[in-house]
This record gives sequence, C-alpha cells and structure tokens, in this order.
Amino acid sequence: MPDIIEPQLKKGVLALCVLALLSRADGYAYDIASRLASAIDMGEGTIYPLMRRLQGDGLVETYLVESPAGPPRKYYRLTEAGRASFIQQKTDWTAFSSAVNSIILGEGQ
Amino acid sequence: MTRAEFMARLRRGLSALSTNTQTEITADYEAHFSDAAAAGRSEEEAAAALGDPDRLARELRAEYGLKAWEDKKSPRNATGAILALLGLGAIDILFLAPILFSVISVFFSIAMVVVMAFVMGGVVMIGGPIVGYDGGAGIAILAGLGLVGAATCVGALTIMAGVGLVNFLVWYARLHFRLLKPAIDQA
Repeated sequence: MPDIIEPQLKKGVLALCVLALLSRADGYAYDIASRLASAIDMGEGTIYPLMRRLQGDGLVETYLVESPAGPPRKYYRLTEAGRASFIQQKTDWTAFSSAVNSIILGEGQ
Repeated sequence: MTRAEFMARLRRGLSALSTNTQTEITADYEAHFSDAAAAGRSEEEAAAALGDPDRLARELRAEYGLKAWEDKKSPRNATGAILALLGLGAIDILFLAPILFSVISVFFSIAMVVVMAFVMGGVVMIGGPIVGYDGGAGIAILAGLGLVGAATCVGALTIMAGVGLVNFLVWYARLHFRLLKPAIDQA
C-alpha cells in the first residue's frame, strides 16, 4: 500500500505547494524547485514536467524577464483559474489533513 | 555527473519526442544548470538534485504518450501510450506480450468478421432482389440491411472495448507509477 499512496500523495501535494508559492509571488522554476526539493523529498527535475502540466491545464502562465546575466528568465504566475484552484485545494487539504491528524494523533476523543 | 553528461542522457532518452517538445524540455534543464551555477552550486550537485536523467526522460515520454492518448483516441496514440508504458516498466513485456498478442488477434478477427458481414449484407441487399431471392425482394433487402446494421453495431462495440482497455492501462499506470498527473485528480 505505501507504494501506491506515497507517490499519489506527493504528486497531489507538490502541485498544491507550487500553487501556494506562486500565490505569494511570481517565481522561476529553479527557485521553486530548490525551495520545494528540500521541503518535500522529490527530485528537482520533477518540477519542470509539473510546470508544463499546470500550464497546459491553464493554472499558470509564463512571461520572460530580462536577466542581467545570460538569457531572459522564464517566470511563472497564477492565472485566475489557478488562483481559484489553489483556494479550493487549500480548503480541501486543510479539512482533510486536520481530520487525519485528529485520528492518528488521537485528539478530540 | 557533469552538465554535458546529464543533458546528453536526457536528450538520448527524449529522442522519440517531436523536435519542438525536445527543445522546450532541454531548454528548461539548461536554464536550471545555469541558475544552479549562478547560485554557487557545482554541476555535479545540480545534476544529483535533478535526479536520474534516464528515468526523467522515461517519465516525460510516458507523460506525453499518455496525454496524446487522452487528447485524441486514435490507434496511433493507443500504440504510443502502450509503448510509453512499456518503457516505464509499468507493464512487464514478458507478462504482457502473450496477452496483448491474443487480445490483438481477437480484435483483428472480430474486425475481419465485421467487415465481411458488412460486405455480405450489402451484397444480399442489392443482389438479392436482382437474382430473385426465394422469399422475395423485400425480405432480401431487410436481411441485407439487418446484416449491415449488426456488423456496424459489433464494430462500434469492439472499438469501445478497445478504447476502454487502453484507458484502463493508462489509469493503472497513473495509479502505480511516478507519473505527474495523479490517477485521483484533485484539480
């Protein structure tokens, strides 16, 4: 069972974390990847396909910013749909995780 | 692993994808190495943090293969999705090959029967009245029409079953393997 649950959980949570970071400030992939990789145990390489999927689903969009060194850098920002999806997922996640916590930690019994 | 080695292995793994897609993907990883260098990380560190380029390429290929199938249900995309899943190790080739072979044979036989029934139905419908069928022209036309209708119906059902089968494989892979879009989609 852990084989099944763990990747599913991480995949779902990773997208939510990316949306959360972008809801606070626009960012570029390297920055997002290095902040998330240390927090959740996932290869930084996974971020790029994920960003592509979020973009394909219309949750994020990109724009280029001139960089002092090297080629222009690709920044990501949330779309309206991305913001709405983030709020919905945040609500779901909070309700779900507090329900699970109260069971596994034995609170409120 | 150096930057050049990582990129070479990634490129080799992605060679089946379209040139456009390859360029887009590799540009992202090149930028990652440049950003890592700017942040003071060595090429080796950056490559290690990115993960195994061969597996990354397999996952990307599978993701694109499955997405093509989800966007458009064509026999070509079905083949692509199955090949991508095989590449992922999602389905064991030794286990799958005999099953896949028999399933394809069954589908092929059904398709042959359907086509033959369709043609025969047409022949009965048009030829029956001309050669003077025993039961009369009306019966011949109805019998032919029935045969054509039945053939179309079985053909449609076979296609639906085929689509369902590939969908199931894709769903199974999403559930069990590290693909990016979860089987249980929360978005």
